[in-house]
Amino acid sequence: MGASVAAPADSPRASGRRPWVLVLLLAFLGVGVFFSPILGTVSVAPDTVLRILLHQVSGGALFSHPCAGASVPASGCAGLIEIVWDARLSEIMLAVVVGAGLGISGGTLQGVFRNPLADPFLLGISSGGTLGAAVVVVFRIGVADQNLLLPLFAFIGAIGTGFVILVAARSRFGSVETLLLTGVALSSFLSAVLSLLLLYSPTGSLQVDFWLLGNLGSLDWTQDGIVFGVVLVAGTLLATYGRELNLLQLGPDVAQSLGVDSRKVRVRLLLLASVTTAAAVAFTGIIGFVGLVSPHVVRRIAGSDYRIVLPGAALVGAGFLLAARDLSLVAFPGTLLPIGIFTSFAGAPFFAYLLFRRRGTSTMGSP
Amino acid sequence: MSGPTDPALRLRQVTVRFGERMALQDVNLEVPKGQFLALTGPNGSGKTTLLRAALGFLAPQSGSVELFGSEVLSLSVAERARRVAWVPQEENPRENVPLLDYVLYGRYAHLEWLQGETARDREAALRALRAVGLEERAEDGILSVSGGEKQRAILARALVQEAPLVLLDEPTSHLDIAHQLDLLTRVRELSRERNVTVVAALHDLNLAARFSDRIVVLSRGRRVADGAPTEVLSEELLARVWGVVADLRRDPRTGAPYLLPHHLVPPAPSGPGTFLGKGPVHVVGGGGSGAPYLRALSEAGYRVTAGALHLLDSDLETAENLGALTAVEVPFAPISDEVRERLRNLLQAAKAIVVAPFPVGPSNLPNLEEVRGWLGRVPILLVRRPSGVEWDFAGGRARALEEELLRGGARQVAGAAEMLAALAAEPSVPLPQ
Amino acid sequence: MHLYDLSSSSAPPRRTVPLAWFAVVVIVAAGVSVVGIAASYALRGGSSSGPLTITDDLGRRVTVPLDPARVVVLGPSIMDSVYRLGLRSHVVGVDCYAPALGGLSSDYSADQVALWNLSSSMCVQTGPTFDVEQLIALGPQLVLAATIVSVAAVEQITQTYQIPVVMLQPATLTGVILDDQLLGEIFGVSSASSSLANALQTVLAQAASLQNDLTANGTPFPTLLVTYSADGNGYWTFGPGTFGESLIELASGASISANATLSYPELSGEQVLASDPQFLVYGTGFGINESTYAGAPFWSQLTATQDGRAVGMDSNYFTEPDPTMILVGLPQLMAILHPGSSAQ
Repeated sequence: MGASVAAPADSPRASGRRPWVLVLLLAFLGVGVFFSPILGTVSVAPDTVLRILLHQVSGGALFSHPCAGASVPASGCAGLIEIVWDARLSEIMLAVVVGAGLGISGGTLQGVFRNPLADPFLLGISSGGTLGAAVVVVFRIGVADQNLLLPLFAFIGAIGTGFVILVAARSRFGSVETLLLTGVALSSFLSAVLSLLLLYSPTGSLQVDFWLLGNLGSLDWTQDGIVFGVVLVAGTLLATYGRELNLLQLGPDVAQSLGVDSRKVRVRLLLLASVTTAAAVAFTGIIGFVGLVSPHVVRRIAGSDYRIVLPGAALVGAGFLLAARDLSLVAFPGTLLPIGIFTSFAGAPFFAYLLFRRRGTSTMGSP
Repeated sequence: MSGPTDPALRLRQVTVRFGERMALQDVNLEVPKGQFLALTGPNGSGKTTLLRAALGFLAPQSGSVELFGSEVLSLSVAERARRVAWVPQEENPRENVPLLDYVLYGRYAHLEWLQGETARDREAALRALRAVGLEERAEDGILSVSGGEKQRAILARALVQEAPLVLLDEPTSHLDIAHQLDLLTRVRELSRERNVTVVAALHDLNLAARFSDRIVVLSRGRRVADGAPTEVLSEELLARVWGVVADLRRDPRTGAPYLLPHHLVPPAPSGPGTFLGKGPVHVVGGGGSGAPYLRALSEAGYRVTAGALHLLDSDLETAENLGALTAVEVPFAPISDEVRERLRNLLQAAKAIVVAPFPVGPSNLPNLEEVRGWLGRVPILLVRRPSGVEWDFAGGRARALEEELLRGGARQVAGAAEMLAALAAEPSVPLPQ
Repeated sequence: MHLYDLSSSSAPPRRTVPLAWFAVVVIVAAGVSVVGIAASYALRGGSSSGPLTITDDLGRRVTVPLDPARVVVLGPSIMDSVYRLGLRSHVVGVDCYAPALGGLSSDYSADQVALWNLSSSMCVQTGPTFDVEQLIALGPQLVLAATIVSVAAVEQITQTYQIPVVMLQPATLTGVILDDQLLGEIFGVSSASSSLANALQTVLAQAASLQNDLTANGTPFPTLLVTYSADGNGYWTFGPGTFGESLIELASGASISANATLSYPELSGEQVLASDPQFLVYGTGFGINESTYAGAPFWSQLTATQDGRAVGMDSNYFTEPDPTMILVGLPQLMAILHPGSSAQ
């Protein structure tokens, strides 16, 4: 029998799997992390920066006088070390961790929803987080601990929103469409609550703006550690679901017939993605486009196997956010732009470029 | 796990409701291991629901579904996948995954958490691709192959799943005729080679009859027929379940029955005093002689059948316009054994027989011979022939047969009105079903 | 191909991950947070670098060095107090907007920039994002900040970089006086502080006596609307509980927005027309002038506008809770509302 029909000549190539790309991405990221502290709002000579880094890394053994010969600011060499090591490096590590968290969440959600436009904020997680942050600011909760309480409430707000979606997901009518619409509706509702809350607290509005625009500054190692811990745990668990996500792309029924408990897996993935996103954005506010763009970039360069897309999206997300930080400092020297503005500013055209560069090849099948 | 006597699939009193709609109603079904069962029925009859219940996708409101002796919902999802594989009607993959990887998805239920596919799994996938004739295309993307190849790849995936039961839901509905035959032939072969039980929902009754060991017909959520294709398929079933008038023939090469659908059963006239679905009454006629009686019967609410008639006979046209089942012979040829067999089927179903005043020759004499066989079993009405017109062109054999009929209890009627009156007086003609 | 044989082989048990591991994720996440918070408390122990512990306007207890030589001031209202206390030389940095996007904060008027010689100061970016690096580079011993800086950022500066931050955000005019006393205390300038306090008290006493006179004579307070900005929808003004509201009260005026729900409401044209205040005081400066208000609803129909009792006033004098508001803004407002009164 076998009356086979030849594939059309211009048909897209099968998307392969290129795990070595991950190694390359990791190497790029390492180099980026090492050299990024050269950039900052205060100008410090690159060689001084590197000396300080090595001094700190070696526990003071190398370059016992790292600032020797360098022009030091009013705060002296100690100030310079604080700037490079505490302010810049903690900011850079945060960019890496948050970017990785957003990237892997984005990859997961695009897989769970089988929708190339899904991103971590689609579920209303951002609105929930913003509301949590606003509650702390407006009701002046624990003023003396706001640097930790604000993120904590933001986290609770974000995870609470995610939880509502999860309840919807577990219900009988939890179709993918229902979930998306629940997220969108919840997002609007929470935004309305936020607006109302801020009307009564104009100074609060100033403070929440901060959060809404997304920022990497104002952080220290403790906060880095918290985000890092949560993102590492949740992100690692997410990365183990690559095979299930591959199967879910065939539809929940087919996946289930192949042995994936579609509903349970979907709920778990949503939970983990919510936790990751919530932890990532709790300290930084809303950073757009990283979660959306990163998985698409990975698909382009490393293939569409979710076992690679998930870790790849984490690496690309980390690199993207770090690059956004660095580029914003190059483009606007001495100025700290809210990173959320810059990621959207740079991410949107890049996304359009990705979509139109090779029209024949979609990064995620046909809609 | 399962005993050797447990059937591959067993449904007991399964009822599934979607809101008000009954999708399955008290369905009992047992599929022994190794059987190729075709599940058929009109759209919305519950075929897909039955398959979904067997896959554990939905929980019946009552009754139980067992796979190899275990309640399906009590099995883990992975365990279900190791027992039953599914070939859906259509799959819309989003990623252009190489066929080999696509087939490897079938190994999921056999792999440990985080365990990668081993060389053995890849070997199995390649063998499965070879079995469906896609070995050469293992590296091609799923989005770049044809519909038939995609369906075969899905079949290969079901094979590497190594499930002893495979459910196919309209696997051929998007395929052209060559690919339909190709796919089902492969399924048939594979099921025989590997002793895999197959349950396939199929719209196409001819494919069902040709490939399956057994056909189960569902209608409005109930099992209405069940048995070997030759037992189950009948014109009556087609008319009753699908509302389609068709000829049932036998494929001389394979021996499988096949159907030649004609047209829909026209809605019976309704109104006071008419009986819906009365009959059927078989009319033997020819040369236009049967037309007035066919029409009169149809108008009075009887279902009619007709034959045997020759193609191009005006009575045949009338009968078909009325939605009658017919036995048809090629023009001018003597009635063959095959058509005679079909006539017999029609007569068997008839509740009464009307013999129109048709000219009888050697070629259509078998009509009267067959009618004779029903003397005393159903009412036979002979329409009186006009005097002075020659009608027996069979050398007196026709006259002899008519006399024999009259002697045997057939009644003579003068026209259509008398025919209807006689039928109405017959207690053996059943009231509407 | 090996066929999965149901009757003999038993499939390897597939490891099931218990549903309970949701809980594990949450517990681990919570655990990490708790450790982090505990660590930050531990760190905070060693931050006492000065002999003076004060409570700021947000109720934070802050230990500050006495008479710090290097101070960063974030907020024009605080800068006003600092200048009037003769502490300009201590200021090594002030707040600014993103340098690449405009530099010095637009909250400073041209007069203030010149008077306070701000262009010579280093600036610390506070908007749209707070720049910790620039702050550290200035090496301040103390930061005085209004709530233009995120409280979370303030806490981080205090805890991580051991730089004390005092938040000064008075809600009322009395709060302005208290904050000036606090500054006097920190910088040990009691004489300057008390002379500033005296000047402030003098003005406040005049306002009080005017109010007593009016009340004694049974003269009703004139109704007015104080607006600092307007658009096609209406007029932005002060609601209850704001320093703007307390300014109007001290000036013996009856604000038509005294019963507003919001702190900084926008009154619609209808509301203003219905109240039809006797006086209309509109803020100018910062790019806003009379023509801004002319575009607001019913502007020309208002009695105050038609009768020439719509008066412009420099926004600097009533939009920042600082000594200038009392020393300059209050007398100006009283003069508008009560021309020829004894207070002049």
